[in-house]
Amino acid sequence: MTKRFRRLDHPVLRDVSLTVPAGGFTTLIGPSGCGKTTLLRIVGGLETASSGTIRVDGVPSVGPARNKTMVFQHFNLFPWRTALDNVVYGLEIQGVAEKERRERATDYLKLVGLEGFEGHYPFELSGGMQQRVGIARALIVEPRLLLMDEPFGALDALTREYLQTELQRICSQTGVAVLFVTHSIDEAIYLSDHVLVMGTSPGRIVREFPIGLPRPRWTYNVRADPIFAETRAELWGELERELTLGSPGSQAMTE
Amino acid sequence: MNDDLSRSEIVMDQWPSVVYPADRRAKLLRFGSLFVVLALWELVGRQNAVFLSYPTAVAQAAWEVLVLDDRLRSAFAETLTGYAVGFVAATVLGIAVGFLMGQFKTFDIALSPYVNALYATPRIAIIPILVLWVGIGFGLRVTIVILSAIFPIIITVRDGAKSVAAEYLDVARSFVATKWQTWRTAILPGSLPYVFAALRIGAQRSLIGIIVAETLAAVTGTGRMIQDYGQFFQTDRLLVPILAIGFFSILMTSALHLLQRKVTPWERR
Repeated sequence: MTKRFRRLDHPVLRDVSLTVPAGGFTTLIGPSGCGKTTLLRIVGGLETASSGTIRVDGVPSVGPARNKTMVFQHFNLFPWRTALDNVVYGLEIQGVAEKERRERATDYLKLVGLEGFEGHYPFELSGGMQQRVGIARALIVEPRLLLMDEPFGALDALTREYLQTELQRICSQTGVAVLFVTHSIDEAIYLSDHVLVMGTSPGRIVREFPIGLPRPRWTYNVRADPIFAETRAELWGELERELTLGSPGSQAMTE
Repeated sequence: MNDDLSRSEIVMDQWPSVVYPADRRAKLLRFGSLFVVLALWELVGRQNAVFLSYPTAVAQAAWEVLVLDDRLRSAFAETLTGYAVGFVAATVLGIAVGFLMGQFKTFDIALSPYVNALYATPRIAIIPILVLWVGIGFGLRVTIVILSAIFPIIITVRDGAKSVAAEYLDVARSFVATKWQTWRTAILPGSLPYVFAALRIGAQRSLIGIIVAETLAAVTGTGRMIQDYGQFFQTDRLLVPILAIGFFSILMTSALHLLQRKVTPWERR
């Protein structure tokens, strides 16, 4: 399976082309305003590209679809629905029978480690738990591609690290391919098979880094691996260049 | 009395100590101020009973006009019936039109000028022409209540539907919800707080509307009774319906608040 996004042309993005391999984990990283969130939303069908195509499994994919679902930075749970009813949402929209969708939602809540919290409202859950609900909600329709827009950006550092490990486990269990957006170099390296560094004005992909660290990565101390440190230094060098070339504000910061 | 005290002590042990004294102080303050106001009114009012009247006289008057005599009671019933019928109609119509305007540009563009103009027109200005059209009885009450309540309800519900956070709409869209599904699962629940705000404004405005209309035009009803008592300088009796209206307004607001809490339990207050 290939997911090919060819020659997108958007005011903030130019000639962006990328492929997420089946079951692979690809991360977009870049300075603020490089259009990585826009790119993700275009892939998800929430925004339209001025030109270019998006294919999922080789089939052109226009607009939102069930085979590509989103996990949002601010969770975007419905506050009036319990955890279970939030997870059920995609199936409800598809018209899956009540009994079946509740069973499946229970399974997915279990997958993300929230067994026993079915009846809790979002405001009764911590940020990390809310995002687990968000992940379960996106996975329940069994998408081929999971689009994650800085999903851990609003969480504290500890929760963030914990959920990074959890996400790896969930991905290996479901086999879903992921397109991930982040600001964190460490997060990008830890999670990804490929990291794509983006530059600004216009938004474009500057360089691709394959991450050769063996999986599963939660079984050893990845951050102590020499490959991790090397990749980190190289990635940072590339990003720093983009930051300096970028907006006047970020120039002032690096000068 | 003793039982009450011991019970409140148990409650105090269970509640966080920061919350309870503040809560108790608020209660004490509320009842204390009520007591002081009533006592002062009694003292000053006795000096000039026609001008001010005083609480015990009002209480006695209430007994006379509500229990011994049924004129005010039937006036209340008339007013309440008109109010209830009108408010229910305004609620149903107002919410429906508000959502239509919030959802469909066509409705919004076509209806906005009328809704805004009628919203801004003082109700009292249209009472004479309403009398011409529907007379001075039940019809006038229902009409004035509908006209008082429906426009603020329409406008508030419309704004609520329009302001449902983009983040909820993103979710609906990313799961390929139809327009109807989006309305039912995201827009309707997302705008419920606005709907309740709309009902509170509508309830207040229509109460003002019906009393003004009755005072100005009706030969019966609570407003008419207020005029009668006023013209005969029966200040103690005059205050009975006035206080009743205030009390009713508080009751309506609290009932709507309770309903809102029941319907939207996820809202932290």
